[in-house]
Amino acid sequence: MSVRKEEEHVVQRALRRQLLQGTIDRRQFLTRSMVAGLGMAGVAAATKTGIGPAFAADDRPLTPTFYQWIENLHPGIATVNGEFPGINYQIAPVEGFGIERFVAEAKAGESTWDVYVGQTPFVEMTAMKEAGVIEPWDDYMPKEVLDDIIPSIREENTIDGKMYGWPFLLDVIGTGWHSGLTDKAGVADEAPATWDDFLAAGQKVVDSKAAPWGATFDSHGWRSVAPITHSMSTDVYTPEGLFDFTSEPAIEALKLMKTIMAMANPDILLEGATDAGVNGTPDEVAFAAQRVALYFKYFNAPLRMAANWDDPTLLHLGPLPKFPNGEGSTVFWTTGCALFKYGQNKEKAAEYIKALTYDPQIWKDSIVGTPSGHPGQLPPYKSIYADWDANKPDWMPPFVGLVRGQLDRAKAITNNLFGLQQFVIGKPIWETYLKGEESDPKVAMQKVVDAVQAEVKKG
Amino acid sequence: MAQTIASDQAGVHSNRLGGRAFLRLGTGAWLLLLPALAFFVGYQVWPIVRVLWLSFTDYKFLSNDPSQWVGLANYVEALGDPLMWQSLWRAALFTMMFLPGTIILPLLLAVLIDRVTNRRLATIYRVVLLIPAVIPSTLIFVLWKWMYNYQVGPINHFLVNTTGLFTLQNAPQWLGGTPLTLPSIAIMEIWWGLGYHTIFFLAGLAAIPKDLPDAARIDGANEWQVFWHVVRPRLAPIMMILVVLRFGTAMAVIDEYLIFGGFNRASPTYTWTIFMYDQAFKTGLWRQGYAAAIGMIGAVAMMIVMVLLIRIFRPRD
Repeated sequence: MSVRKEEEHVVQRALRRQLLQGTIDRRQFLTRSMVAGLGMAGVAAATKTGIGPAFAADDRPLTPTFYQWIENLHPGIATVNGEFPGINYQIAPVEGFGIERFVAEAKAGESTWDVYVGQTPFVEMTAMKEAGVIEPWDDYMPKEVLDDIIPSIREENTIDGKMYGWPFLLDVIGTGWHSGLTDKAGVADEAPATWDDFLAAGQKVVDSKAAPWGATFDSHGWRSVAPITHSMSTDVYTPEGLFDFTSEPAIEALKLMKTIMAMANPDILLEGATDAGVNGTPDEVAFAAQRVALYFKYFNAPLRMAANWDDPTLLHLGPLPKFPNGEGSTVFWTTGCALFKYGQNKEKAAEYIKALTYDPQIWKDSIVGTPSGHPGQLPPYKSIYADWDANKPDWMPPFVGLVRGQLDRAKAITNNLFGLQQFVIGKPIWETYLKGEESDPKVAMQKVVDAVQAEVKKG
Repeated sequence: MAQTIASDQAGVHSNRLGGRAFLRLGTGAWLLLLPALAFFVGYQVWPIVRVLWLSFTDYKFLSNDPSQWVGLANYVEALGDPLMWQSLWRAALFTMMFLPGTIILPLLLAVLIDRVTNRRLATIYRVVLLIPAVIPSTLIFVLWKWMYNYQVGPINHFLVNTTGLFTLQNAPQWLGGTPLTLPSIAIMEIWWGLGYHTIFFLAGLAAIPKDLPDAARIDGANEWQVFWHVVRPRLAPIMMILVVLRFGTAMAVIDEYLIFGGFNRASPTYTWTIFMYDQAFKTGLWRQGYAAAIGMIGAVAMMIVMVLLIRIFRPRD
């Protein structure tokens, strides 16, 4: 019985694919389904899951939805949309990374949109999968695209061996510095190789009064604790995929953050201005106001902030410093595309996302900048970097090679339902150490683990 | 009066027409009432009933498993969670900071504006006071977020660069989870509602016959006595409405807290509303059954205090 069902399933999938590819019409689909012995129940099931979207695809055009910031930072998207006549381009109702609308629709077995551009794997991909909102791209992503994705990015977008995310915009955490301020302080104009160098440079800036503050960082854990920890070791995840806050590298990261804070803007731990405190953070204000010299965050942050300077060319970028004998890794993530399980036009969506993610103008604009922004986000494909290596464009800044180089050593935060939340829950607890309310970093981090575990147990 | 006559006439008419006609008249009334009733049940009663029902289940929004009836388990868990009490206390603290400023300041302003005899000037005062009330909330938040900004905000610029009272290292941190956060938000809210609340009191003052304070003055009462013994008691109904309404909004603030404090559990802005939202839409599998229990506890706590406030502020005469 089960073998029979499996055969029916295979035939059904093959017929469905042919139907969607247009090699057979609906009449042939139904006839062949009957001949293949699917019976009315099988045909009905196939119709429900397979033909339904195909029929409906006639009714509505390709409907992608984007997180607002992506449209703001990447004006080239409009040009790609022009290649898809009738496309129903929309902005997603996901302010503050909220996915509740997507989940609500999936529970009703429907989706207003076909594809969502704005998914960051460690932030919401597991939740979207668990809630049955998205389906893997495996059936729709061409093999040559799959093979072209940089392996670490491919791993980042994979859960249980399936690609639940189609990567688009790559962010890697590294160092940025204001060379005008470091020159004034007599600091060598080169990326600090180690965290000791980073601290020494920052202290020199403060001592020389070149700027009020020597160095800063974004206090949200995935932008501070995690990358510093990775710079020592990436082997800091539990078998369940949670960040091990009590690991030695994490403890060292916390201690280093406290040392940096002594030369940083005093409001460093405060929440940001937008997206429920996650963005528009104090480090960005300090760096944009040219009051701090050294900074580590995903590269598009210093690039965006330096756009406010009198001379943005004074911004220089480098890899994240490392600990002596450390791995020298960092954290990266991609913001990519999710395929709605109850969406339609799935083949067309894959075609669109391929066009979008390979579009050369989008990448040039992202790297060089446009009047609407300078995201500095990079492509996820090996072939694009290979082309640039073979024929280096005259507009190519050095930071691209640098980021690409860092990526080989960088690691994404492991996908988990608490991938982001573990850092949100932990932040006020580890900050007791940073504020001096708790003297032992190990005690503070153990409390973080306890608090996260308590929430995990609740489900 | 007119209503009484009409109902009397209807009564006489129905007696004359008999029971069936009366029933028809009643059916007609119900039919007319139906749209409002449907709206009330659909938008007021049903959501409350639904949330109440959810609070007795282990419903998780991201889970595809069917929810189970868990009785009072969510309530027991919430009441045993220190964060529940802490978050309720934070909301109460904000309300205590906000509510007096919402009553006393507008009352004072209304009394002053009421005394302006130049009509044009009085109108200008009213319009100026109402300006903040017509600005959209998003703009208000952006404006005050900038005002309070530690590094580039005008308040700290004044304190550091103009007066020299502070340095860049020790200037006040107004928002983002510090102890100053709740008072800072309360000041913003009081400023925002000042004109609106003042108009409430001005309407109340306009309803007081002018001969009452005049008579008190002739009897030898000074201005304070006139205010306290003549004006204030007649403003009591308005005061009660404002206290009850504003208590409700202050205890249930959520937008401002999300914008000014996010989901940092140690922040004073992490009140029971944020706790509920966090559990319902952010943490784990989104435990909406548990979040519903948090919401019901918060709502019941508010209702108890509201009853007390109505008793305290109800007009005495």
